[in-house]
Amino acid sequence: MSVGKQIKLLVGDNPFHGISHLSQERTRNRGIALVNVEYFTNLLEIALRNGADGFMFSVSDVTLSILEALCKKRIVADFETYAIVPYAYEYVRLATQAGGLLGLGKKVIKDIILSGNVNAAILGTKGLLHTDITAFLETYLLYEISRIKTSIGRPLKLNSILLHEVITEIALSLDLNWLITDYISFMRRLNISPGFETRNFAYLVRKFKEWKIDFNGLTIAAPFNKIGFQMNPSREECEKALLEVDGANIIGMSILAAGYFKPIETISYLGKLPNLNGVVVGVSKEQHARETFNLLNKYLKSR
Amino acid sequence: MKVGIIGLGKMGLLHSCILHTLPNVEVVAVCDKSMIIRRFFKKLFKNAVITDDFTKMACLNLDAIYVTTPIPSHYPILKEIYSKGIACNVFVEKTLTSSFSDSEKLCSLVKNIGGVNMVGYMKRYCVTFRKAKELLEQKIIGDITSFSAGAFSSDFVEVAATAKEPLARGGVLKDLGSHVIDLALWFFGDCFVDDAVIESVTAPGCEDVAYFRVKTRNGVSGDFAVSWCKKGYRMPEFVLSIHGNKGVIDVNDDKVSLALNNGTSRYWYRHDLSDNVEFLIGASEYYREDHAFIASIQNGSAASPSFFESLNVDYLIEQVKKKARYQ
Repeated sequence: MSVGKQIKLLVGDNPFHGISHLSQERTRNRGIALVNVEYFTNLLEIALRNGADGFMFSVSDVTLSILEALCKKRIVADFETYAIVPYAYEYVRLATQAGGLLGLGKKVIKDIILSGNVNAAILGTKGLLHTDITAFLETYLLYEISRIKTSIGRPLKLNSILLHEVITEIALSLDLNWLITDYISFMRRLNISPGFETRNFAYLVRKFKEWKIDFNGLTIAAPFNKIGFQMNPSREECEKALLEVDGANIIGMSILAAGYFKPIETISYLGKLPNLNGVVVGVSKEQHARETFNLLNKYLKSR
Repeated sequence: MKVGIIGLGKMGLLHSCILHTLPNVEVVAVCDKSMIIRRFFKKLFKNAVITDDFTKMACLNLDAIYVTTPIPSHYPILKEIYSKGIACNVFVEKTLTSSFSDSEKLCSLVKNIGGVNMVGYMKRYCVTFRKAKELLEQKIIGDITSFSAGAFSSDFVEVAATAKEPLARGGVLKDLGSHVIDLALWFFGDCFVDDAVIESVTAPGCEDVAYFRVKTRNGVSGDFAVSWCKKGYRMPEFVLSIHGNKGVIDVNDDKVSLALNNGTSRYWYRHDLSDNVEFLIGASEYYREDHAFIASIQNGSAASPSFFESLNVDYLIEQVKKKARYQ
């Protein structure tokens, strides 16, 4: 990390959804999969008061309720928001129950129409008639942006919308450079940083370079931790790729390797990484929120 | 290597993505019955043949074919693939077919034709279960005395009683239970059913929960519990607890724990077991599975689990259904 650079500290939402990449059993035993918006709003507020700059979240009813509750309280003056779409887990669950991808598609279209977002509905109809994937993506993004803005209810900075890793990885693997390019142009027109969540950071950097995509202004969230957890194909390859992305806003995920490390154990590793502009960490307890962000604030942000 | 995919649901898309990242592999043909799905996939696979009739793939000289359609269609599709010579190297998502007798007929056919074949029991490629297998082979816990196995998900926890999907997916034993049955057969060898109970929860006639007791050839007893209506399982989970005369191994998708009678204990998370892959989508085991299948074709070696190994899963499921008390 270059000295003097402002490192953003973001609160992640995995614990709010009952997700643990270390052990699902542990999450069940804790019982935090039970949704409690008030509890999570309080956690987010504590993190923001202790040095966090913003919130990175998957757009779901739970996270939007948390945002709405926090904004209504008006206790925290301002913070940054990074939204990940779609909330893949919910869509996979819907696909499972609704009869596969086709059933899922019908459900999404119905939700968009019922949302009353006229622009999105028109664009979506065009997409449906012409099976135009870009039009569908744009429709869906407009729909999610309007959901976020409705929940926030006041001008709050939506720094970036990141495509969920499932979409990013599909686009990368199938060489859908046109989809990535169209998405970037669309988000830039909306004055929001185009973002990508990925667990194949080195592959993404290689493909984007091959497709001559300008990294300037892009937001990329990818795992960075000292044991290389989910850093595919290897920690070394991801670190090497990090040297090649000047101008992008790189956010380190899984910095504690999903709870494998304590925050203090990761500081020295993160401190050595160049081109890392921020980190995102999930917290599940008040003390955890206070200590983690105090520590990261002290050792990372003030570098 | 030219590959075709039949069935463009979640699994068809997942395998297509992985195959596309493998060196020297190209998805050249895809088949789906839905016109809307075909129209969308035409945009994603610009250079591939898109069809609603997989027999048209016969002229493409395919090196391999993936069948990722719903289970009831596996047998007629696989039979056609082999009899029409569409491809001789075949991957099919689990289970092999929807009945033991169909699987048996298919295996007889394949025995004469040859080629590499594989069934998508990807949990064998999960690093934690592989570690457990390694520990068992090293006889770290001595002779196995008993085991318990579970497969759980919350897929149909809050589903209306009229929902068709639980029925359409062919029941919890094939959909979810087959993975943990395959793991048990891989770990312990052949199993024979002693007793079984199958429960309907989502709707009358649906097979939603199953409990059954088995014995291995060595007389080791094992208890299975399978449910897709269990609360708290955000993702499907598979778990085995294996007791030996020198200790216990507990393993699930995330972790392997070893506790020896002499007081020694150790555990390994995925983090500790070299879980990285060249390209991650879904879970790392999917990449390893596809890589192994393609490598087997290139090397001319057998893939695992083959159709013949997977036949045993279908046999056990059939035995459970025959012996079950329905509630």
